[in-house]
Amino acid sequence: MDRKYKIEFNEANVQDSVAYILVSEFDLKPNVLKAEIKGDGYGLMILALTGEESKLDAAEQRLREEGFSVKELGKRINRDEDLCWDCGACVSICPVGCFQVDKETAEIVLDNSKCIACSACVKACSVHALSISL
Amino acid sequence: MSKTYEQINEKIRAGKAVVYTAEEVIDLVRQKGAEKAAEEVDVVTTGTFGAMCSSGAFVNFGHASPPIRMAEIRLNGVEAYGGLAAVDTYIGATALTEDPMGGYGGAHVIEDLIAGKKIHLRAWGPGTDCYVRKNIDTYITLDDVNDAYLYNPRNCYQNYSLATNTSERTLYTYMGKLLPKMKNATYSSAGQLSPLLNDPHLETIGMGTRIFLGGGEGYVTWPGTQYKTNIEEVNGVPVAGARTLALIGDMKQMDAKYVRGLDITGYGISMAIGVGVPIPILNKDIMQRCAISDDELFAEMVDYSEPVNRPPMARYSYAELRSGKIDYQGRTVRTSSMSSLRGARDVASKLKDWIEHGEFLLNQPCLSFPTEVSLKKLEERGC
Repeated sequence: MDRKYKIEFNEANVQDSVAYILVSEFDLKPNVLKAEIKGDGYGLMILALTGEESKLDAAEQRLREEGFSVKELGKRINRDEDLCWDCGACVSICPVGCFQVDKETAEIVLDNSKCIACSACVKACSVHALSISL
Repeated sequence: MSKTYEQINEKIRAGKAVVYTAEEVIDLVRQKGAEKAAEEVDVVTTGTFGAMCSSGAFVNFGHASPPIRMAEIRLNGVEAYGGLAAVDTYIGATALTEDPMGGYGGAHVIEDLIAGKKIHLRAWGPGTDCYVRKNIDTYITLDDVNDAYLYNPRNCYQNYSLATNTSERTLYTYMGKLLPKMKNATYSSAGQLSPLLNDPHLETIGMGTRIFLGGGEGYVTWPGTQYKTNIEEVNGVPVAGARTLALIGDMKQMDAKYVRGLDITGYGISMAIGVGVPIPILNKDIMQRCAISDDELFAEMVDYSEPVNRPPMARYSYAELRSGKIDYQGRTVRTSSMSSLRGARDVASKLKDWIEHGEFLLNQPCLSFPTEVSLKKLEERGC
């Protein structure tokens, strides 16, 4: 199964290799979607993980024990349905195809499960209907 | 067989007019042929709902006591024109506040007015013997003002090029975000539902044509600015931007759902407007043209990273564009629309509903628009 996580570091554990722990101890397949480290040692990583459910659960626990803040990302793109006018400006700029035009209704359908939290859609929306929560 | 405007209006008044949208009518004409369909159908409704920058509103505020001749005007901080009579103004859709990247402009003021919101009016004048006052600071609503009507110098572009970007950097344009190396391409026309693609030579559309504008009744007033006719045609329809319409409509009838302020990143402010034009089915030729479908309508792709000349790179049908991806020299380019098809359908259906219920009669144009026009360039001269 696939899950996406937001993992936050601090000065104390910023040198540790999260990916190594996940691969060597839990046989998980990590894919780093986003990573940044600030000057004060604070860091943030958006990670997609593929593996067995029990191992994902165990890995989550293990990272917390190591002092990382671990949060599974559920719904990432928030869309204000009252503002959206179904123009489609978000559709072709999404690298993973979160937005599709419904063939019947011509509404723009949002599939949050594909989102890699790149934020490309946020600036593309002319009515500020989209935001990303990490 | 042919019909007149008056015959069609008689049927509308009697609640017996047969009305199809420009999408619905495609199958009917395919099944029955244009001749049979023309006997059956009285009106075809078209619709479009997209960004139309060349739009704006005339407003008359009414006189305060003591009165002022407003020379400089701000509505929610957005600049409005102060070069008309004392309390008349025009606010353009793309007008900005002092913060050009603030994301709020003339189109948002217009949307807010139509939505019934209070608008902050500040104005300054020279102070004259007849208009002694030098400034005013108050709040207005659409109900408070004497007149408020959209007058849009250029709407309803007849077709529009597909935009892409061959460069290495992302471009932020009025055609939306264009990713580097042609990862995407955006288009604007409503295709088979679009007003001027269904009556490509404006046989039925001219000055005085009554239309759906922003949720209310409006009129075609003039050829739109940059109206041109010398564009190559395929299946009788131009493959690039050609004719346009100037439109007018009372804002007090409108619905903010169909008039939306847009903040287009890196470009600025624009306004999305829902426009629907009814096409009277006077004869089988008009019927045939209304039955055109997305696979018969084409747009040319141009490169927005070219700052000056943008020669067409390729040509695609709207059916291909709507599929979400096209092929350009062996590579896949993702496509998406900048205008709302859902909204365009909503407009065409609403107009259909008005006509079916006898609430909207067709108006025969009192002036036809030019048939041969080419555009002039702006020359830079010393004197």
